[in-house]
Amino acid sequence: MAQYAELIQPGRVHSAVFTSEDIYEAELENIFYRYWMFVAHESEIPQPGDYCTKWIGQKQVIVSRAADGEIGVFFNRCRHRGAAVCMEEYGNASFFRCPYHGWTYNSSGDLVGVPYPSRYGDDFDKSSLGLAKVARVGSVAGFIFASMAEEGPTLAEHLGKAAGYLEDFVKASPLSTVSLSAGTSKSTFWGNWKFVGMDGYHTNFTHKTVLDLRQRKQGASYSRGAGNSDKSSNESWDLGNGHCRLDLTGKDKVAVGSASNTSIAANIPDTDDGREYMRLMTETYGDEAPEVIRRSRDVHIHVWPNLQLIGSQVRVIRSLAAGRTEVMSYPAMLDGVPDSINTERIRSFEWFSGVASFGTPDDTEVFERNQIGLQSDYIPWLVLGRGLTVAPQEDGSLVGNVTDEVPQRAQMQAWLRAMGPESAVDVAVRTEGEAK
Amino acid sequence: MALLGDVTEFLLLEAELADANAYDEWLALWDDPCTYWVPCNRDDYDPTKHVSIIYDDRARLEERCFRLTTGGAHSQEPQSKVCRMVGSIRVVDAQGADDTVEVTARVIMVELRLGRKSVYAARCHYTLWRSPSGFKLRRKKVMLLDADEPLGNMTFLI
Ligand code: FES
Ligand SMILES: [Fe+2]
Repeated sequence: MAQYAELIQPGRVHSAVFTSEDIYEAELENIFYRYWMFVAHESEIPQPGDYCTKWIGQKQVIVSRAADGEIGVFFNRCRHRGAAVCMEEYGNASFFRCPYHGWTYNSSGDLVGVPYPSRYGDDFDKSSLGLAKVARVGSVAGFIFASMAEEGPTLAEHLGKAAGYLEDFVKASPLSTVSLSAGTSKSTFWGNWKFVGMDGYHTNFTHKTVLDLRQRKQGASYSRGAGNSDKSSNESWDLGNGHCRLDLTGKDKVAVGSASNTSIAANIPDTDDGREYMRLMTETYGDEAPEVIRRSRDVHIHVWPNLQLIGSQVRVIRSLAAGRTEVMSYPAMLDGVPDSINTERIRSFEWFSGVASFGTPDDTEVFERNQIGLQSDYIPWLVLGRGLTVAPQEDGSLVGNVTDEVPQRAQMQAWLRAMGPESAVDVAVRTEGEAK
Repeated sequence: MALLGDVTEFLLLEAELADANAYDEWLALWDDPCTYWVPCNRDDYDPTKHVSIIYDDRARLEERCFRLTTGGAHSQEPQSKVCRMVGSIRVVDAQGADDTVEVTARVIMVELRLGRKSVYAARCHYTLWRSPSGFKLRRKKVMLLDADEPLGNMTFLI
């Protein structure tokens, strides 16, 4: 047996953190079923009666907008004998009717109908048999989070400095709202969920072909991989509570409309629609519009544990087993802009993201190789020591060079706090090199 | 009947080159401009409003093939081994616009990589242009049975 604190050390981490099924089970209880998890975006259920089904760990939930507009998150489990009451991913319904014996719930989750009720006693209380609710629900910038813990930090406390980046993300729209209306790129890989993080060190190697493609397009003017080296002014940030980000803008913030060689998000096209978009943005944000757009385009954040916002995309991470992960990705559509602006966001998303794209398949390939490698745990330590000595900023954030392992350590520390440093786990920690 | 035979020959050649990961020869079968489309979530979504698994125009299709030959595309190192069957081939319009032929088929693909075998099934729709030198692929739409399921590595030629 070992304590979690023995597995997460200042510059190194034990591979069991990624390979142990016991730890996976403990993560479900300590993280997925306790922390503020991103569950859905308000745009997925815009109208009263709209609902969507999602998963928090192994538990399926219904995210529903009731007749009064209120959003609730319920477990998808009939209170009679437990059948799932809803099998559609998206829909609109006044009632959820259980297929087994016909118990019926309204869109607030209340039990409103029980067939042949005379066979229940007088003490049968329908009002106590509504769909079980996830204890706490909150939203920021349309992003709905749910926590199964009755008590604990509020959503605002949990998000802390990350909340501002959620706001920045949606401000690429002149209405300051986005819609996840363009569908879901669904993927899985054979590796641990914690590999999906914020890493500025891998880019030039994992994404070698992305550099090749950019060079092919831009020719000699392309400074290959410059943004992701130890010489770069790009940064990696620890925002607290496991939230972290990469700042890929460099110190000389690139002007909107000019080519950014770091941001993977699309630039504003020099077309009628592009100019119309700028006009709409200026109408809303005034002189701030270019800066608002830049900030939105350069959002590159992991909201711990399960949400990432990168450029124009939303990514949601779910652990299925120690060595199996599901990632759902959405190109976020801007509300109130010309259609072609959103089409361009979709095309740009497809270039880098998705199971047949030019970017993320190489990430997941590397995650799978990581999982294979970690099984050979003769020497079980992963070295997370890049930039170990960076000093905290005034507001407590840690900011390192983009290739530093500041984000990885931030997430491991948040993970350790969630799991309990003193808690014991069935892992043999041995001295380096010593046989098991 | 002769047309169906010619179409069949062409689709089988396309399948064979894709199976062989013969990116350049496969690319040479395509017209310019062209559209290579693998819808995501649902087959009938409007690709200007909805994400696709693949929505390549000619330029992006060239990028795709270039990426797979330049070295360092880890997701295809090692390459997928693919064996596909093309069947139920039908000419649905022998006199399509601009000298084209509209064809539908069913494709079953078995892909093997790093010891894991995956099976994919798709309904395909092809628009073939009768060029002076034979058919060219002007449009290929691959409607995967799994379009709305979480998928793994799909970087081989679908
Ligand atoms: S299990 Fe739902 S009505 Fe019986
Ligand atoms: Fe990556």
